[in-house]
Amino acid sequence: MRSIRTIVAVLAAALAGVALAACGSSESGAGAGGGKVSVLVPKGYQSPATESLSGKRGGTLEVLQEADFEHLDPGISYFALDYTEVFATQRPLYSNKPNADETVPDMAASKPEISANNKTITVHLREGVHFSPPVDREVTSEDVAYAIERGANPNVANPYLQTYFSSIEGMPHANGGPVKGIETPNKHEIVFHLTEPKGFFVAEALCLPLTAAVPKEYAEKFDRNKPSNYYAYQVATGPYMLKNDAEGKVLGIGYVPGKSATLVRNPKWNPKTDFRPAYLNEIDIKIGGTQAVIDRQVLEGSNVVQNEPVAQSAVKLAAEHYKSQLSLSPGAGNRYVALNNKVGPFKNVDLRKAVFAAIDRAALDRERGGELVSNVATHFIYPTIPGFEQAGGLNGPKLDYDEHPEGDMAVAEKYMKLAGYPSGKYTGTNTVQVVGASDTPEKEDAEIVNQTLKSLGFHTKLTLVEIATMYAKYCDAPKEEIEVCPTVGWIADFADPQTVLRPTFDGNAIVSTGNVNYGQVNIPSVNAAMQAAEAVQGKEARAKAWAKIDDKLIENAVAVPYDWEKAPRLEGKDVHGVAMLWNEGAWDYSFTSLK
Amino acid sequence: MIRYVIRRLLWGVVLLIVVAALTFVLFRVLPSANPALLRAGRDPNPGLVKNIEALLGLNKSLPEQFWDYMKEIFLHFQFGYSYYSQESVRSLIGGRLSATVSLTVGAAALWILGGMSVGVISALRRHKLADRLAMGGALVAISAPEFWLGFVFLLLFASDIGKFRILPGAGSYVGLTSDPWKWFTSLIMPWIVLAAGSAAIFARLMRSSLSETMGEDYIRTARAKGLPERRVVRHGIRAAINPIITLFGLEVGVLLGSAVLVESVFNIPGIGELNYKAIQQSDFPVTQGTVLLASLFIIVANIVVDVAYAYLDPRVRYS
Repeated sequence: MRSIRTIVAVLAAALAGVALAACGSSESGAGAGGGKVSVLVPKGYQSPATESLSGKRGGTLEVLQEADFEHLDPGISYFALDYTEVFATQRPLYSNKPNADETVPDMAASKPEISANNKTITVHLREGVHFSPPVDREVTSEDVAYAIERGANPNVANPYLQTYFSSIEGMPHANGGPVKGIETPNKHEIVFHLTEPKGFFVAEALCLPLTAAVPKEYAEKFDRNKPSNYYAYQVATGPYMLKNDAEGKVLGIGYVPGKSATLVRNPKWNPKTDFRPAYLNEIDIKIGGTQAVIDRQVLEGSNVVQNEPVAQSAVKLAAEHYKSQLSLSPGAGNRYVALNNKVGPFKNVDLRKAVFAAIDRAALDRERGGELVSNVATHFIYPTIPGFEQAGGLNGPKLDYDEHPEGDMAVAEKYMKLAGYPSGKYTGTNTVQVVGASDTPEKEDAEIVNQTLKSLGFHTKLTLVEIATMYAKYCDAPKEEIEVCPTVGWIADFADPQTVLRPTFDGNAIVSTGNVNYGQVNIPSVNAAMQAAEAVQGKEARAKAWAKIDDKLIENAVAVPYDWEKAPRLEGKDVHGVAMLWNEGAWDYSFTSLK
Repeated sequence: MIRYVIRRLLWGVVLLIVVAALTFVLFRVLPSANPALLRAGRDPNPGLVKNIEALLGLNKSLPEQFWDYMKEIFLHFQFGYSYYSQESVRSLIGGRLSATVSLTVGAAALWILGGMSVGVISALRRHKLADRLAMGGALVAISAPEFWLGFVFLLLFASDIGKFRILPGAGSYVGLTSDPWKWFTSLIMPWIVLAAGSAAIFARLMRSSLSETMGEDYIRTARAKGLPERRVVRHGIRAAINPIITLFGLEVGVLLGSAVLVESVFNIPGIGELNYKAIQQSDFPVTQGTVLLASLFIIVANIVVDVAYAYLDPRVRYS
């Protein structure tokens, strides 16, 4: 689970500053409660939801990206840009088709079998899948077990292992060696024994790249290094691999940090075992440069795509002159104004409702680029995530303070009075600390929120800092007692509403550093509902359970959601780009082709 | 002279140690974000953060970290490992050094030759059309930010997005050894953009310094004695050049700073771009490595300038 944030200061000039991603389901139609995402994209623009998956075989695609990859080791990778490479070269147990309704078996041969008590998951693996050279041999269940176990190796330190897999027996104390709760009864079967009835949720998480097979006898020596340098010698199971030498070395050949990455066909890949068409022969990724230049190069270039969120100016240029080369992908996360529920004036629910009512969310949305790249949010579960429709869809719950996106001062006044301020204005002596980011459009958003607070009578102190500092020193740190963080957001790791709501609003998830429950929301009934919803089985049932929690959060006005993001991407005129709806609209190299 | 050079070199080493200590304080003691937290993802549990801190050596006390850091730099010439790519900083820098050297040396040559030539012509043709054009152009070059100027050049001349597609555009840089012609053509625009501002300052300074010198009594005497004008000018330039040489040492720092932007706009995989990205990611070892290298360049350039200055003006050695 990740917030929309910083790492990507690289992309600060870009629209939403979003670059973290997820695997999970989405849809071209309805289903799973994620909503009809195609209606969120204005007519005439490409959307991953409606893109044809057929293409022409052959050719080399050039990719321009300003930012470098962060982690290409599938055991560490946790970033939208990294996933573009990882999901073309690796096969986790389950994966998404670019526009798929839900995850499909990838390294797995079939859907996971979950025991009646929700505590055992059995996965059968495909036969005939091989590692790329120099390993060459067939993938077995032991390779999948090792891939997951090495995530606990301190030299690998997978960032989400304990979040999603800690209920596997023995995992909380694992350090890279065998884990008691992971069994491999035969070469093509792997069984996970859980200590809690969370089978359905853990099974959903098997689409994360940590489950992509890693050959122990080959990787172990790299994993002994501090830190592991398996990434520099990695082998592939997917249709492509990073170009390497006879010893398997990738670094300096198929991947030159800060300069380039080259994906070539994996000679051991068997198309009969895979749903990916893999049309392209080669993908040449050029790293570096400046987004403003890259955008132009792509719009006017051949056989080229850009694989990062696009600068606002380029979205405008593309919308006016290169409409067919612009793809808009809904489901790129939410944004909200975090109000401190624990200390300061916003402990008072009516004051929070007053702020909710007063904020011009439509203006905040416009600052981020308007309808093309976002929708005004009315609740927290965003389009493409199950539970979105059940939580009210685009219109959201019918509450007077949520009904007018452009802000309603009369309603705000009503709640100010209910909060004990008969004049309709705040008359307390507290100075409200507002901490925002200094980049565009975060800065403008923070100023709008600050102005709204002033119009309600609050004395404010607005601090604008670099986005990483905003999180690390202020909004992530409860001890700073910041009252308002106006530009925080969240993206799910996979299409389950729990990954949207639990880390951000569960009172039990509050920690002293790196805290992502920014408003320190701690409502016992909500916490209990989350605890119960975690064990719910079935997509529909989970969507309903978490939508109810979303309703409760809005009823308590714990924060002010204002934006559901859409990720814009650009492609060259002769490229048939297929974007990954589940991965912020990043281009899927296994489905993209040249015209 | 040798004692003077040795003294300057020793001071250079002391300065490097001070810079190394300062970068440690800047990037380890007063960081904007805990790298272990950044690396731990968005739902960091305390155990994972501890593991990563141990992995990155951040669990040691600050004096221990400082000792390890100085020892690695000065005894092993090691700057540590990138928090993100986990690649050795030394090899990251090594792989990019040639691009930055190509860019900055070429730009420095262009700025010295261009700036001084224009300055000399302007000084000798004061208030004539050539002088007015040159000084007007210099004003524009000083005022134009490199980022903007680079973008304008690309939109005008780049082979992929330019109006007049005559020069290789962004991302076309190749190493000198792999294709010398392509290397040269890919650097023409970056050289011009990087050199423009400094060349303009040099031109204006040279113009004013030479104008003043050419009005000196000894120049008038030389002319009165019938010395050819070319020799008179040569004497004048030698006398007028001292302040320019001093400025060169200072401008190397400016040049390296500007190289960050030029490398970024033209997608030249150099050290400036590496530093820019590292700062954005709070990748402290890489930032430290690049800052130290830049400091080394500036210190060496200033030593060269001091030595040249001492050579041209012997009084300096004895002061």
